[in-house]
Amino acid sequence: MRLAAKTAIITGAARGIGRACAVAFAREGADLVLIDAARDLPGVPYPLGTASQLAHTADLCREQGSAVLVRHADVRDLAGLEDVTQEAYQRFGRIDALVNNAGIAAPSGKAAHDVTEDEWELMIDIDLSGTWRMIKAVGKLMTAQRSGSIVNVASTAGLVGYRYFAGYVAAKHGVVGLTKAVALDYGPSKVRVNALCPGSVRDDHDAEGRMLSEIARSLDVPVADHEETFRQAQPMNALIEVDDIAAAAVWLASDESRQVTGSVLTVDGGFTAR
Amino acid sequence: MLNRKDHHALRVRLPGADAELIAKRLSELAPHTPLWVEPAGPSTDPLSARRRARETTRPVPPAAGVRAVLIEYSDGPADLVLVAHRAAVGRSALRRLAAALLGETEAEPIVPAVPSVSVVPAADTGSDVRLPVVAPGWGMGDPRAGDEVREHRLALPAGTAADPASWLAAIAVVLARYSPEESQESVTVGLFDAERPGPLRAATANVAAGTLGDLATRIAQDLVMAPASAPAPSVGLVVDVSEEDSEDLGADVESTPFLEPPFPLTIVLSRMAGGVSLRAVHRLADVGPQMAAQFLRHLAHAHRYVAVTPDLPAVRAGLYDAAELRRIRELGLPPRALDTRPRRIEKVFAERAAETPDAVALSDDDLQVTYRELDEWSDQLAHGLRGAGVRDGDFVGVCLDRSAELIAILLAILKAGAVYVPMDPAYPVDRLAYTTEDSGIGVLVTRLAEFPAPDGVQAVTPDRISELGAPHERTGPPASAARPADPAYVIYTSGSTGRPKGVLVAHANVISLLDATRDGFGLGSADVWTFFHSIAFDFSVWEVWGSLLTGGQLVVVPYWVSRSPEQFRALLRDRKVTVLNQTPSAFLQLVAADRGCHDQLAVRLVIFGGEALETPALLPWLDRYPESRCRLVNMYGITETTVHVTEQTLDRGMALCGSRSVGRPLPGWNVYVMDAAGRPAPPGVIGEIYVGGAGVALGYLGKPGLTAQRFPADPVTGERLYRSGDRGRLRPDGMLEHLGRMDNQVKLRGFRIELDEIRLVLVESPGVTAAAVMLRQEDPDDPATARLDAYVVLSDGASTADLRQHLARVLPDYMLPSTVTALPVIPLTANGKADLKALPAPVADPPTPAETVESTGDEIADGLLEVWQEIFGFPVRVTDDFFALGGNSLFAVRMAAAMRERGMPALHPRTLYLNPTVGQLTIALR
Repeated sequence: MRLAAKTAIITGAARGIGRACAVAFAREGADLVLIDAARDLPGVPYPLGTASQLAHTADLCREQGSAVLVRHADVRDLAGLEDVTQEAYQRFGRIDALVNNAGIAAPSGKAAHDVTEDEWELMIDIDLSGTWRMIKAVGKLMTAQRSGSIVNVASTAGLVGYRYFAGYVAAKHGVVGLTKAVALDYGPSKVRVNALCPGSVRDDHDAEGRMLSEIARSLDVPVADHEETFRQAQPMNALIEVDDIAAAAVWLASDESRQVTGSVLTVDGGFTAR
Repeated sequence: MLNRKDHHALRVRLPGADAELIAKRLSELAPHTPLWVEPAGPSTDPLSARRRARETTRPVPPAAGVRAVLIEYSDGPADLVLVAHRAAVGRSALRRLAAALLGETEAEPIVPAVPSVSVVPAADTGSDVRLPVVAPGWGMGDPRAGDEVREHRLALPAGTAADPASWLAAIAVVLARYSPEESQESVTVGLFDAERPGPLRAATANVAAGTLGDLATRIAQDLVMAPASAPAPSVGLVVDVSEEDSEDLGADVESTPFLEPPFPLTIVLSRMAGGVSLRAVHRLADVGPQMAAQFLRHLAHAHRYVAVTPDLPAVRAGLYDAAELRRIRELGLPPRALDTRPRRIEKVFAERAAETPDAVALSDDDLQVTYRELDEWSDQLAHGLRGAGVRDGDFVGVCLDRSAELIAILLAILKAGAVYVPMDPAYPVDRLAYTTEDSGIGVLVTRLAEFPAPDGVQAVTPDRISELGAPHERTGPPASAARPADPAYVIYTSGSTGRPKGVLVAHANVISLLDATRDGFGLGSADVWTFFHSIAFDFSVWEVWGSLLTGGQLVVVPYWVSRSPEQFRALLRDRKVTVLNQTPSAFLQLVAADRGCHDQLAVRLVIFGGEALETPALLPWLDRYPESRCRLVNMYGITETTVHVTEQTLDRGMALCGSRSVGRPLPGWNVYVMDAAGRPAPPGVIGEIYVGGAGVALGYLGKPGLTAQRFPADPVTGERLYRSGDRGRLRPDGMLEHLGRMDNQVKLRGFRIELDEIRLVLVESPGVTAAAVMLRQEDPDDPATARLDAYVVLSDGASTADLRQHLARVLPDYMLPSTVTALPVIPLTANGKADLKALPAPVADPPTPAETVESTGDEIADGLLEVWQEIFGFPVRVTDDFFALGGNSLFAVRMAAAMRERGMPALHPRTLYLNPTVGQLTIALR
């Protein structure tokens, strides 16, 4: 098992990529700290992950033999994140991996000048600052441990632009930049930091993801049309599955990637190769 | 990083658990300590076992004091797991806490209230320093196993004593037997206190003197705190009393006195209500599972001696019961039995001649001799020998160059019922005279006009023998009553001490050797062999009879061709040789000659013998001749055991890892590794190789005393063995490792050094194709003048300077050669082995001393020049090489001391090794 005896924190673990990562990590022998806001947030125009979904992710992990600590926390609340981290340390004695996955895709779907200040700040606060806050909560421990791997789930939107997604694109570009800078901070402490950039990920039934549907809704196009557009735009002629992202996250968290830091791993069917 | 040695765990199985009640009690006893409730699958599921294992190996941050986890299984039962830092909660306190949480005893607050602290306790990072763990040499651990920990259990008979002193004494006894090359006067054992935190305790005891009872008493008295910086003793004891009164917690209690074993091999003695149990816990990287299980068995047996016979001298305690002794014997047996019957060499040859009379038996330059011709030729010569007075059982000397004629004479001697005593015409005259005299030969066949035949020895030429036999042309061999059990030849071996001794080997031994190898090697009439080796070296016995008794063709290699790798290669190509026998030293020269050639040889089997093989040197050959095309077989053997003993087919993987395995014994042969007292060594432990079975020689000619001494009885079967003087170990998988000669170990400035080990490192170094190492002492009275001289053959572009740099990285300081001399070739003896006596003086002769002391104007450089002048006793230059001046590690120590006195920067020997001139050193120290 590639993550045997390791402990990983995964944010946004209720569903989608977060759930897929949690189950994959559990299958590879990791014990888990699963974090999600597990409630709807004002300003986010679609339902977010729920407490029930988070509990189900935990059950799936336990079935694989993992010990699981489940906590509700909002990545905008630094004190809350620090409390969870401390609790996780007491519980497991070490933290080997952090998958910084929590994020939102909307409010989006309009030109930059039509975005309100509140909408802009909400997007940056969750997608970019939330990633940094989790690093702030865990980084001190990992550098003291002199080991650890941080996987920041960014997006191809962290590498190229998407029309009418200025806030999301800016936040995800920020995550990529943050990744590279922190990789330099932590290199001497043997803590690795990498960005994982998924392309368009299919909304998986078991993982209960809904990102693609929400993006389509933001753009006011039928989900099937949106899927078809992106399928054709990705040279592999397929949408990405959540398990494809989880597999990449497992590798980045494992010792197999021990010399990989500050890198940006795209899992996008070749979308950004053009 | 939390130091897991300082944490301990307790797991109690409950038929069912009230999580709320336990959590409530916990909150009263230890505020701020949550009960972590973990739902899990069925208790019997392997995943659940993994869950339990994880929880009992997870350290607790100091701030938490104790961790309580309740694993609730879906099939009903639950496990309460408590983990604590020993400083916060001791062993019995943890037990009391468990009892209190389960309502077995009155609740008493025993865990100090823990304040809420920051995520990263500052004190925590300090315990990052782990005690260095040094894997024991006998451990046979797998460095690739990482941190994986294994455990073995052994139930002990009821009434077994559980006092730590008796067990520490037993550990010392076993450890002494496992480390026979370490001092038996100072065997260190460790004790880990499961009740309290703190450094390990250790005692160093003399196992070589005193009784077992004394040993236990002395160890108990001598236990002291081990210095935190020293490596933990390789084996240590942990006495776990926490299970003693386990009935109040129910039957299923698992006690883990540490989360990581404190010693490379940790012996846990558990006292329970029902008796005593023993566990061995170890990281797989330090100790292999078979070695740990075996150590445990040996320990239990040795402890019975300590307990029952305390008046017995400690050195006489036994490790093995009858089953264990049988197991060790079986480990040294071949994988299959030998199918053979006793016969004489010339009879088997006659069968081959009858089968394929027209096949070529011998090629010697332009001469080709068929099997029928060789048979008839040797018949006639046998009659000639009779005519010269040779009778059954006589010893007949042969001193001829390698030739077809020599082979015919050897066969003729055997047909005449006599024993051949081969002598190499290239040997010095006094060696020939000694052999002639010692062997008591009556007739000597030679063409050397000046042969030093003493009175009573009749020297005749082959021509004369032929004349004497002429009347008997085509009448078959002379009548003879000689038997298969009679000797076939006497070969003289020069041991490390004393004069050469004649080894008497019976016909049946040679037939057994062929029967043991023929099928495995696929030897047959399609094979072409070379007659490469001196007839006085027993490798030739294998070449000559291996070929002629399996119907092959034997190609005679003239002396000058055997000395020229290029010409020898040409012969191999032209004659399409398929079976090649070589000493490793000679083979390396052949590999070098072969490397640049475009055509390929037809060799399908290479057999190595005669000296230890450094497998990494085979890689260039494998690049040109993959295993599928040419099989490489390393055979360990000795003249006294009929050429070969074991066989090991080699592949690239073994060459890459530098395998020292010589494999398992041939069918009919068997091996032991014994300690200095002649007891079987534990498998995996280094000792002396003993060989038994079908190859054991009849003895030394005319030396019954020496024969009795070197051919002792098998401790199990009573059969005769041969004591080889070779250093080796029998691995737990039955493979024998050959580790040089017992007497190839040298002591240099207190360090025990295995010269073969340095040679192996040299050969594995980039750019080195062959190497030799020797210990020299210029002034016999001054040990400081002793030094290691290395000799290497370098490939193009390699330099001794680069090699020095490489050596400094891979060898410990005391094993670094003082000089490294590049040679075009390592000189070989007549038998094709590396000839240390023929090595030249090292090139790095001391240069002429400088006239006066220079001044460089640099403070460090001037200081160094002064110091060097002081220790060498003559002025030196900035460019003079420390080692070339005669410097060695002892001088380096003196130099470091002198520099310290002057307040100069500290000098590490490695720095000096890499920067051997004052100029370089000045820069390095600045």
